[in-house]
Formats: sequence, C-alpha cells, structure tokens
Amino acid sequence: MSIEAGREKHPAAVPGTDVAAAAQGARPSASDPGEASLRATDLTLGFGQRAILTGVNVEIRRGSVTALIGPTGSGKTTLLRTFNRMNDKVAGYRHSGDVLLDGQSIWHPGVELMALRRKVGMLFQRPNPFPMSIMDNVVAGVKAHRMAGRGELKSIARDRLSEVGLWDAVSERLKDSPFRLSGGQQQLLCLARALAVGPEVLLLDEPTSSLDPIATESIEALIRTLVPALTVVIVTHNLAQARRVADRTIFLNNGRLVEHGETGQMFEDPAEEETARYVSGRFG
Amino acid sequence: MAQSAPVLRPGGEAGYGPLPRRAGARLRASLKDGTVIRWFGAGGALIPVLALGFILVILTVRAWPAIRYNGWGFFTGTTWAEGNLYGNSVRTGGVLHPPGAAYGALPAIIGTLGTSAIALVIAVPVAIGTALVIVERLPKRLASLVGGFLELLAGLPSVVVGLWGAVTFGPFIAHDIAPLIARNMPDVPVLSYFRGSTGNGQGMLVSGLILAIMIIPIVAATTRDLLGQVPILPREGAVALGMSEWETTRRVTLPWVGGGIVGAVVLGLGRALGETMAVAMTCGAVLSTVPSNIYQTMTTIAATVVQTMDTAFLDGTGFALRSLAELCLVLMLITLTTNVVARLLVRRVSGTALPVGRGL
Ligand SMILES: Nc1ncnc2c1ncn2[C@@H]1O[C@H](COP(=O)(O)OP(=O)(O)O)[C@@H](O)[C@H]1O
Ligand SMILES: [Mg+2]
Repeated sequence: MSIEAGREKHPAAVPGTDVAAAAQGARPSASDPGEASLRATDLTLGFGQRAILTGVNVEIRRGSVTALIGPTGSGKTTLLRTFNRMNDKVAGYRHSGDVLLDGQSIWHPGVELMALRRKVGMLFQRPNPFPMSIMDNVVAGVKAHRMAGRGELKSIARDRLSEVGLWDAVSERLKDSPFRLSGGQQQLLCLARALAVGPEVLLLDEPTSSLDPIATESIEALIRTLVPALTVVIVTHNLAQARRVADRTIFLNNGRLVEHGETGQMFEDPAEEETARYVSGRFG
Repeated sequence: MAQSAPVLRPGGEAGYGPLPRRAGARLRASLKDGTVIRWFGAGGALIPVLALGFILVILTVRAWPAIRYNGWGFFTGTTWAEGNLYGNSVRTGGVLHPPGAAYGALPAIIGTLGTSAIALVIAVPVAIGTALVIVERLPKRLASLVGGFLELLAGLPSVVVGLWGAVTFGPFIAHDIAPLIARNMPDVPVLSYFRGSTGNGQGMLVSGLILAIMIIPIVAATTRDLLGQVPILPREGAVALGMSEWETTRRVTLPWVGGGIVGAVVLGLGRALGETMAVAMTCGAVLSTVPSNIYQTMTTIAATVVQTMDTAFLDGTGFALRSLAELCLVLMLITLTTNVVARLLVRRVSGTALPVGRGL
C-alpha cells in the first residue's frame, strides 16, 4: 500500500546491546566533554529563493547545554530543526554545507532517518502529548523502535517519569488522558517521552515559552541534570533563561551566526558590537 | 413569566429597575437579554428527540395488533405470506386478518445484518485509506479535486447505483469473482458460507458490495474532514521521536479523531441498514428463505417493505400494513441499537484520550 511506501526500516543495524542499554536509560558516557557532538560546516539554509542562514560553522560541545539566541525570524528554529532533519520534508527547504553528528554527516545515505531521530530527540514550543494514556505516551517511542518487551514498559515509564519528577503526580493515573494534566506537566511528560528512547542529543525549541514561571523553573532545573550525560541545544528568546541554563551560547542575527562562546563571556564581554547591543537590550 | 423576568436576566444587577409595564417593552427586553433566543434554542434542540419519539409511538400504535398476533414467531419465522386476501377475514385474539396470514421476518433481519456487515467490512478500511491518501499523500489541488468527486459520489441517487449493480456489477461478480472465492474457501465453520452455488448476480454478496460502494464516499468524505483537523504539533512530535509515517498515522493521527471516525462509520452503517432501492434491485427479492451462503438471493427489511407495499394495500383487514409497520419498527430498533453501542464504544475507547477541543 502506498501509505507504507515511505516507511523506513527499524534501527536493526544498531547492535542489540546498544538498544537494550538505551532502553534502560544508560546513555553514551561523555568521555571527552570538550569534543564536538554536532558540527555544522559551511551550513547554508533557506526556504525557496530566500536564504535564512548563510555560512554557519559551529561546534556543539558534547555533554553541555548550548543556547541559541537571536531575534524572532533569525533562523533559530530552522537551524535546530535541521539537526534532526525535521525540515527535510518541509516545502521549499534547502540546505548546503553539512552537519556532522559524532563525525558523520546526518545526510549520509547510510544514515537511517528513524535511528537519527532516536539519537537526536526534540521538545517543542508547546507540549504535544499523543492521544493515548499517560503511560503509553512515555513508552510510545520505545514501542515504535521495538526497544523493549511488553513486560519492561511499565518500569521504563516509571523510571522516566521519576527522572522528570512527574511520577508522584501521575503514578495513580497512568491510564488517564494526558490532556487533563497542566501545561507544565504535559511538557514534562513530553520530555520523559523523548528521554525514554535514550537520545544522545536533545533539541529544545523554546520549551518553556507556553509555561508559567514555576513550571519553567522546574524544566530549567531538569535541563541541568541532563548534562553531561546528554548534549542539549536550547532555543530561547529569554536571555535570562540562556544565562541560567546554558554553558555556551550562540547568537544568530541577520542570516548569520554572529558569535559563539561561553555564556558568561557572551553576556558580559561579547566580542561583537552586534551581540553587545542584543544582550543588553539595546537592539534595533 | 412576567414575574420571573428579572431573575432570568443575566447580570441583571445593573438593570434592576422597576419592571417595564408595556408588553412590547417586555418583549424587547427579553429579546435583548437572550431569553427569547434561549427558548427558541431549547425548542430547536428538542425537535429531534420529539420527532424520534413521535415516529416510534406512531409505528408502535400502527403495528400493535400485528405485534400481538405475530408474537415472537416474527423473529424466528421464515415465511412472509399475506394469506388469502380474497377469503373471508378471520379474527384471532381480537385481531382481524386474512386467512393464512403468516409473518416471519428472520430472512429479512438476517439479510439486513448480513449485507450491512459485508458493506462495513469492505467500506471502513477502504474509506479510511482513501481519506488518508487524500489528506497525507495528494498535492493540495488534486486532493480537493478528488474530495469534490467523493462528495459527488456520496450524493449519487441509489436507483442509479442499483441499476448498475443489477445490470453490470452483479453479473460480473457472479461470473468472474464469486466462483474464485467459492472454490478456494476451506469448508470450516463461518467460511463455509462462502462456498457453494454462486448464483446469477443477485444476492447477499452483490447487495453488500453495492452498499459498500454507496457508503465508502460518505465515510471517506467525513474522515477526510476529520483528518484535516488534526494539528501538526502532535504529528511532528511523533516524527521527531523517530516514528515512521505509518506509525505516526496509526498511533497519533487516527486516534486523534478516532471518536469522529466511529461516528462517520455509524453514519454509513445507518445508510446501509436502511438503504432500500439499490438493495431491492440487487438482492433477488426472495422473501421467505434464509440464504444458505452469501451468494444466494435474499431480502432485507427495507427491500421487503418496498416489494410488498402494493400487495399490502390490497389487504382489506389492514393486517399486512400493520406487519410492515412492525418490520419498520424492528429496523428502527436495529439502527438505534447500533448507534447507542457505537457511542458507548467511543466513550470507552477515547475515555483516556479525547483531545479534540481540549489541551493544546
Ligand atoms: N516552512 C517555512 N517556509 C518558508 N519560510 C519559513 C518556514 N519556516 C520558517 N520560515 C522563515 O524562516 C525565517 C526563520 O524562521 P525561524 O527559524 O522560525 O526563526 P526563529 O525561530 O529564530 O524565530 C523566518 O523569516 C520565517 O518566516
Ligand atoms: Mg522559533
């Protein structure tokens, strides 16, 4: 049937031990925190004739939190969605240059898209639970990738929900709808869902922009606990949030990557005048 | 009404002055605060309930003598006979009827359920598949073109479909398809109904397929509209989790509108159960035999009613018409029951996840 034509194979190529380990939540250890997890080389992105970002060269360090900041429309989301190839099917999207994950191009023909997205997880601007029970939400990816047997699902769900601090709130209603949870709880559920497939990299696109300050605080605290086991890239329009959670910060503006450095240095002593104006609020 | 007027007024604190004296002023006031609209609304909302109750009551009253005379045999008997319309009427237990009248609706009931079951089994997957292809596969222009044709097809007069079924489709099935199935089916329970003589193109399978063809556009068009409303965000979430397109469809997109799709299927089922002309033209109209396999000539409740209407009017005692009313009552009860069961099903299935109009 034509619907299934686009179906890709399951990540059977991944050695069984790796899959099992991922299901248990063990992540690749950050052996060398300084090394690049993601690397963009001469990356140019656009939609149709319009260039969104040109000539981006950047390294995302393994085991650290990197913030992507810049004014609205500067291409933060476009760059982030490029990292797990979410834009590949978007009409008009084009890219040149390359993105390497652990040294290998994400567009290499040998890369399985489904396996790539298992390694590079994503959290969206607004919580997006699936129309199934809370429990099924957490293990949806685990089931799709056939990473664990039926008997293990419950314990995986409990571990991941505990990890995001949601277990006590939902342990009595795992079979209930996720849509009755608060916005913050829904976003935590989505985080648990993303963590359950054992990603190496987590992409967060303004994950707290729809949440209240308390929920925002708990998500931020959680992000800090994810490193150095994971590599986190977070898009935020909230500069204070970038300062609170990010080790390193990337500033995008006018279709270019303007500056990349230690978060503290970026905010206190930026190299570029453009950055200085943006982070001090004297922009435009 | 006049005294209670201020009570009904929402936020009436501000306007809590003396009551308006003139009737005109009162009317204007109640127009303004929405009382009138609410009464009209309540009336409008009650109409379907009243109409349904009214029809049920009228049918029952009409059918009552037949219900008494036919008894439970109505559901187990296989003979549908008006009796001798020219003989002297007989009175049994106070019910006047022609001599030899015997009404058993079992063949019609089985025919109705059988043809509708065949129609659903075929139509539901095809319709959902069609809707998915239209929404997720076709480019926008083509999608709206195909969707338009679907709506046209849904409005095709049933007599047209019936004629095509009787003249072209039925013989094709009987000669080219049915023998293949009949020859290759194993002789085990249930499947043995697919074996045996394949008939001449009038019968249960042909009627069921004709019904399927008629309800596919209805279910597909409704499902397409529903699928178009599924927001992008949860679907992207599934894709970002590494789900394939089919998994995204199966685990997220379809469940998102699952309740609505069940509703669409019930709509189609209602059409199939009650469809008259197309079935009457393709079922073979054999009123008094339970078909021994799915190819045999048979009848349905609706087909029986339309085929025996003329004769029924010739029954001077009116008993034949009363029996037809009883038959219609059975059809209504079957339709209502499937409706209620489907609704309960939706509530059970989507009790944990009913996102439409919530969340996001
Ligand atoms: N699917 C798309 N098609 C065409 N243009 C797009 C699309 N998505 C984003 N853009 C454009 O790309 C630019 C960058 O968008 P985005 O990456 O979302 O910015 P940011 O996240 O920094 O606010 C915007 O000008 C936007 O209009
Ligand atoms: Mg954005």
